[in-house]
Amino acid sequence: MILGKASPEDVNLHPIKYQWAYDLYQQAVRNTWFPHEIALKEDLEDFTKMTEDERHSVKFLMAFFNPAELIVNRSIALGIYPYIKSPEAHLYLAKQMWEEANHCVAFEYVLETFPFDKEKIYNVHLETPSMQAKEDFIMKYLKRMTEDKLDVQTTEGKKDFIRNLVATNIVMEGVWFYSGFMVALSFRQRNQLRNFASMIDWVLRDESLHLKFGINLIQTVLEENKDLLTEDFASEIRQIIIDGVNVENAYNKDLFPRGILGLNADYVNQYVQYVADRRLEELGLPTHYNVTNPAKWMASATDVLELVNFFEQQNTKYEVDSNSDKK
Amino acid sequence: MEIYITKRDGSKELFNADRINRSIERACFGLVDPITKVTQIATDTKVTLYDGITEEELDLATINAAVQNIKDDPDYDKVAVRLLLKTVYKNVLGDYGKDIEKFKKLHKENFAKYIKQGVADGILDSRMEQKFDLEKLSLALDTNKDELFIYAGLSSLLNRYSIKDRSQKPFETPQYFFMRVAMGLSYNETQPTEWSIKFYEKMSSLEYLAGGSTNINAGAINPALSNCFLLEIHDDMAHISKSVSDVMMLSKASGGIGASITKLRATGSPLSSNNTTSSGPTPFAKIIDTAIRAIQRGGKKKGALCFYMENWHLDFADFVEWRHNAGDDYLRMRTADTAVFISDEFRKRVASKEDWYMFDPKETADLNELYGKAFSVKYNEYIKMAESGKMRTFKKVPATEQYRQIITSLQATSHPWLVFKDTINLRALNNNSGTIHMSNLCTEICLPQDKDNIAVCNLASLNLVTHINKRQIDWQRLQESARIAIRQLDNLIDINKLPVPEAVKSDSENRAIGLGVMGFADALEQLGIPYDSPHAYDFADKIFEFISYMAIDESANLAKERGCYKNFNGSEWSHGKVPVDTITKLEEERGNPIDIDKNSKQNWLDWDSLRAKVKKGMRNATLMAVAPNANIGLVAGTTPGIDPRFAQVFSRNKISGKYLDINHNLVTELKNMNLWEKIKDKLIELQGDISEIQEIPQHIKDIYKTSFAVSPYAFVEVAARAQKWVDQALSRNMYLDSRDVEKTMDIYFTAWKKGLKSTYYLHMKPRHSAEQSTVTVNKSSALGKTGFSSAFKKVTNIESLPVLSNQPEVVVEPITKIIDGKTYKVHGPSDPQEQYTCDSCQ
Repeated sequence: MILGKASPEDVNLHPIKYQWAYDLYQQAVRNTWFPHEIALKEDLEDFTKMTEDERHSVKFLMAFFNPAELIVNRSIALGIYPYIKSPEAHLYLAKQMWEEANHCVAFEYVLETFPFDKEKIYNVHLETPSMQAKEDFIMKYLKRMTEDKLDVQTTEGKKDFIRNLVATNIVMEGVWFYSGFMVALSFRQRNQLRNFASMIDWVLRDESLHLKFGINLIQTVLEENKDLLTEDFASEIRQIIIDGVNVENAYNKDLFPRGILGLNADYVNQYVQYVADRRLEELGLPTHYNVTNPAKWMASATDVLELVNFFEQQNTKYEVDSNSDKK
Repeated sequence: MEIYITKRDGSKELFNADRINRSIERACFGLVDPITKVTQIATDTKVTLYDGITEEELDLATINAAVQNIKDDPDYDKVAVRLLLKTVYKNVLGDYGKDIEKFKKLHKENFAKYIKQGVADGILDSRMEQKFDLEKLSLALDTNKDELFIYAGLSSLLNRYSIKDRSQKPFETPQYFFMRVAMGLSYNETQPTEWSIKFYEKMSSLEYLAGGSTNINAGAINPALSNCFLLEIHDDMAHISKSVSDVMMLSKASGGIGASITKLRATGSPLSSNNTTSSGPTPFAKIIDTAIRAIQRGGKKKGALCFYMENWHLDFADFVEWRHNAGDDYLRMRTADTAVFISDEFRKRVASKEDWYMFDPKETADLNELYGKAFSVKYNEYIKMAESGKMRTFKKVPATEQYRQIITSLQATSHPWLVFKDTINLRALNNNSGTIHMSNLCTEICLPQDKDNIAVCNLASLNLVTHINKRQIDWQRLQESARIAIRQLDNLIDINKLPVPEAVKSDSENRAIGLGVMGFADALEQLGIPYDSPHAYDFADKIFEFISYMAIDESANLAKERGCYKNFNGSEWSHGKVPVDTITKLEEERGNPIDIDKNSKQNWLDWDSLRAKVKKGMRNATLMAVAPNANIGLVAGTTPGIDPRFAQVFSRNKISGKYLDINHNLVTELKNMNLWEKIKDKLIELQGDISEIQEIPQHIKDIYKTSFAVSPYAFVEVAARAQKWVDQALSRNMYLDSRDVEKTMDIYFTAWKKGLKSTYYLHMKPRHSAEQSTVTVNKSSALGKTGFSSAFKKVTNIESLPVLSNQPEVVVEPITKIIDGKTYKVHGPSDPQEQYTCDSCQ
């Protein structure tokens, strides 16, 4: 059982029970990168040339992402890690937490480099109701674990574990972050913020792995705990994701009060719905929105292998260890 | 919601869908099923609009809408090209309505105005006006050739090469651009107008293209036209400082730089001036690494430089780490590339599992100048001295261990590249003027340099694809292109303006040029030959033998007409040698045969007569070099250099933007087989790899492999066959799926054995990439997991599930797409370029 109170044997890495968690840890280590590998000078020049609305969206996006990465960490530390027995999953979560920290300082690196009001920028999320709504949404599920007593041996405890995991991993990382990445990468399609986009490529590469882990974890818990497989609970989980999409609507309106070239609030909403349907399907839940992907250009942004002209662009496809074909 | 458009004059106008649709319609002219395309682009445009959008943004939105559909049908590429051209025409020529004839007239008439205005504004060289019959040139301009472009190519050309006026507004149309370059290389011809037209015809037909710096600066007031510079940094503070300055000046002149730091004394080496010790090469390299970051070459390309170090340098272990992403930032190069300059002695010691010794160049200065047997002799003497305690310092490691360290670093960081010192020097025809201490930024240049000479190379590349006629190479046309290109390159040198005297000296005394090739893989596809097949190797052999012959012959002709280059006497040319003859010398010195078929595949070429002709005089110290062509290959819409097709669909992340590259040859074949519609989504999902798509027949799969599926030994063999005939080198990109270090070590050992002079980037296939956005992804079903679905077993209709949301749902109009495969067939090739190629070859 992956869920439960850790016993003394649960620090024995071998024999490995959950190979997927171990493999994901290995890949995560290969994906290691550092913010200082990105040079932002050209992006800074782009930024000064942008329209007011474009600059607002970039700032808004980063003001959300920077603290959001830490909220994910809080959720892992308090709501996920303590209830898991598997040491290989612990390895992965430790690396994920480092990655969230790395993303946080990566956004900090950009925030500190760009001409933002340093006094105010870190407070934006507290003063923006649509961002607060998103944070509250996540904290609501975490609160049950931090302030109430949660016994993960009981069906209700397991349910709370899944609720929090879905809110953090599926809604926050798997839906909200994904639409944020789409918006961030859209600037590169117009030949702006290319180095920032390289950073987003890295963040997205990490987040794709986080999501793989999260979905694997949910699937494993469901397989091992058939008591969770009720129609009521499934509908409730589905509703959490749909609620998450609804919370995002107001945020997108604040992100694009008027719209910029190629993007507006409706467009991003539709993308959020498209991604949310994908998450529903991945959890074995019926889709809800059935919309098309408005951002077809994401095919070139993320979907195919990238050939980099090395002396023009940071290559984001390198992995840090070699010799790992041999086991 | 009503949407208003902000006009150029600031006034507002209600968005008129009809007008946009009509302009898209015009761009769809002649394509299959235009109505579907217009509807698709118009729908996609509409969702991206916002109230207050400007007219320019609206144009861009339409173009972007067309571009994002290219993945479904490359015909959208044609539409995007035409929409983009329209904005350029509008900017340069003003409004011409919809009248094509009026446009053509305007385009012709405006040409003289463009040149004169450019000269008056101090953007163009005054010779552009004085030397030419502008009226006659304007009659040669052919806007039909704009149809040749693919979107990424046109957009790249406009972004990088087109010059802007003083207010940074677009100033030239693509055809003006080609004519500017042609004119800018014809000032000194006795018939400048006639020669410009010849050069223009070739370049505008994409039969060859000049190198990037030439494209940026030809015709401009500051004609810095060279692409590559190779400089040595000498072991004294004054020269290091001068080198920093030289690097900055040369970068500004838009060239890529090779810089050898082998001569810099090692860490801990004594300094006589103040009785302290040296900090080694790393901190000095860091200054240069930072310096090039400050420069945008020619305002358009980033500064770029590759450091070269021989691996017997005491600090070599540090050098290998320069590109690692972790570690002290002051000991890491974030911008510069690195390459290791490897001797035969090292290769032999790896093979025989001997030790490898590293010295302080302060004590072993002559090693850097020696190569072949002479290097080995001296190196072994130093080893004896070291072992008998007569050297101040040295290090030794098993040679295999250092080799492994190089390869491991190559896999993790793609650096250092492996470049072979002895092969380069022993096969050189031009190193009568000194040792070649390095290659350049792209590892295709082999020119000597010393304190007084910064080597310079000037490049252009032939496009093989535009020399195919009826599935065969048109040798006559290829000969013509090679000869004209050599003349154009030779012209460049007398017009070239370089900012550093050592570079001017080397350029004028050697007149080194490098004619390359692009579209190699593209041509193979069109001829139906798999890249990793003996036919492909023979094709490489034939092509390069032919071009080499014509290039040499033309340079000898030019020598008769214009005189020899200054350092000709004493060169191997002057002994009647041609590149292929130098293999023997390499084999003798190495003591091993080069593992390659040495025969000519073009029996009708009379090399003996050419040898006699060469002996009498050559115009240029070097003639050929195959550059990577990452940019001009894109402009020409073909595969760069001798590279394989990276994947059948992939993206390019470039300074001018991120582009989707889809293989038009493959799409045409699949459309003809009525397969395209069936597999197009899978193509993206499988990241451009068709090997697992059942519907596609095997013979197509053999021709269209991704670069990671092609055998790495094929990359080596293609380059080895070409290298027989090429007097400089080839930028040989490598692509590997396997991370097995032993295997990789063998591949690079094979490259050396087969006589490659250099290798370039190693592209490793990523093991994990980000979640895809536009294709169906279900990680759970991929794992065979069902999640909550079993909870709904009893519910037959999932739609009946209650939804608590009261938010309005966004309604999206369904996109209809009806394409009849048969209709496609009737309309023939949908690749517009291919269509043109046929026309132009008849």
